[in-house]
Amino acid sequence: MQASTGPRKKTASGRRTAQKRKTPEKRSPSGKRSTSPTFSTEFIGRVGELRLDYAKPDRRTIIAHSYFTTPWKLLPPIYLDDTGAAYTLLVNPSGGLVGGDHLSIDMGLDRDAHVLISSPSANRVYRSESKVSQQHINITVGPGAILEWVPEHTIPFAGSRFRQILHATLAPGATLLLWDAVASGRIAREERWAFTDLENEIRITTASGNSLLERYVLDSATDLGCVGLAEEWNYVASFYVVNDAVVSDTWSRLESKIASVLDERPDHVLGGVSTPTVPGVAIKLLTRTAPDLTYMLDTLWAAIREELWNLPPISLRKY
Amino acid sequence: MNTPALLEGLRFIDTFFPSGGYAFSSGLEAAIQGGAVKNSDQLASYVGDLLRGGMSRREALAVKWANQAGSHGKVSLAAEVDRELDSTKLSRESRMASRQMGRQVIRMAADQLRAKTVLGEYRDAIESEQAPGHLAVCFGLTLGVSGWEPEATVAAFLYQTAVGFVSAAMRLSPIGQHEGQRILSEWLPLIDRISRETGSETTMMSSWSPIQDIYSMRHGRLEWRLFRS
Repeated sequence: MQASTGPRKKTASGRRTAQKRKTPEKRSPSGKRSTSPTFSTEFIGRVGELRLDYAKPDRRTIIAHSYFTTPWKLLPPIYLDDTGAAYTLLVNPSGGLVGGDHLSIDMGLDRDAHVLISSPSANRVYRSESKVSQQHINITVGPGAILEWVPEHTIPFAGSRFRQILHATLAPGATLLLWDAVASGRIAREERWAFTDLENEIRITTASGNSLLERYVLDSATDLGCVGLAEEWNYVASFYVVNDAVVSDTWSRLESKIASVLDERPDHVLGGVSTPTVPGVAIKLLTRTAPDLTYMLDTLWAAIREELWNLPPISLRKY
Repeated sequence: MNTPALLEGLRFIDTFFPSGGYAFSSGLEAAIQGGAVKNSDQLASYVGDLLRGGMSRREALAVKWANQAGSHGKVSLAAEVDRELDSTKLSRESRMASRQMGRQVIRMAADQLRAKTVLGEYRDAIESEQAPGHLAVCFGLTLGVSGWEPEATVAAFLYQTAVGFVSAAMRLSPIGQHEGQRILSEWLPLIDRISRETGSETTMMSSWSPIQDIYSMRHGRLEWRLFRS
């Protein structure tokens, strides 16, 4: 069996986009499909691809090309204000990731495009006896383009195995705001830090070739991979802001503002901000509750938007 | 390891070596002021946690790879490790402290061990900004060139780090010398194990020490400071 082309759908921009049904056929080194008659259905709905290319032909940013396979679904972009920024929800209606799932996102922003990305709910990762649940994200941000990447946090259930790799490459003058947060587990069930493996890698590379890298590997098999002192907290988050064309005075002002925000709830939030190896700021924080985490995201994000673009905070529609 | 190699390497481990390490606390000062470290048990826990999660798969790995680069004369490999380590250091103060100490080590080593040309090459690479010059890499390279095995070099680096924390803690809190030695002795089995295990399970640097990373970031905003990091 070979892949069949799914229904073609119109995007909000009026351009056509293809939804193809994913099959796990192998491709030869030349890129052509294998003619092997064997086929397994086990990958359907478990190996999902999402490809999104944004462009800004006039005042608004649009999805110029898209492609997705189950379990990803794509909704038309929403325009939340008059900046023309396209807001896209990453929708995975399957409810979460199970062992062996392999989701990927490949996203490109053309010159001067402005995109906001979030997700409707937390990214749940279910228990797995052996296979890892994986999510690979590859982002390219073109010259002068802006990507505000603020998905909901990941909840690794007890016994889950999760690996996320996110690589972003920025052209000169491109801006990336990247929020990444992880919960200790299903806290209401008193299930905290009970996953089996959790790996996370975030690499942001600027036009100079320099990069910022956060990579951690938590595994219960060795005390060298244990959660350690962070166990007393329930949420861990990072927020990165990178742009190689912003002057250092701006980063200094932003750093001061962010430091003040991080000190607003001293018994409930522990946070720090600094300047990483690439032009920008890096924020790390720990919170005890989800409302504290959400408050920090909203407040930090608002401070960043105001300092960089003099834009007001934005309220994301999710339902 | 022969005795001349041992002695040559010991100079770079000794607190007498002028790397400037006495000026840095790696965020410990902020942790003490923030109330996270109030006594010797909490210090032992704080640093032990950093050695395990923060350094066993990052600095320890960088030391090991740099040691191998030194013993094989591969400057480009050391520079690659150095750049990767640099990209993971998100706290400006810790990054600059590590780079400053590393540069002191490589300058002294290149100047005094002239027969080991790889050290001069690496110093030049750093001065021409081809490599950032982090302590873990310069230390590993120097001891590798001096004939130290990777395992011993990693152990020496972690021991030097641990001593630096105890030294800083003694100036920042009411921890005495006997207590300091007790804590150091508690860390020795961990250091020994990390030095043996590092690199056996992974080919990528990783680090998990969010609390220590945050205090390192917070240090620059302390109202009063004894240390530069």
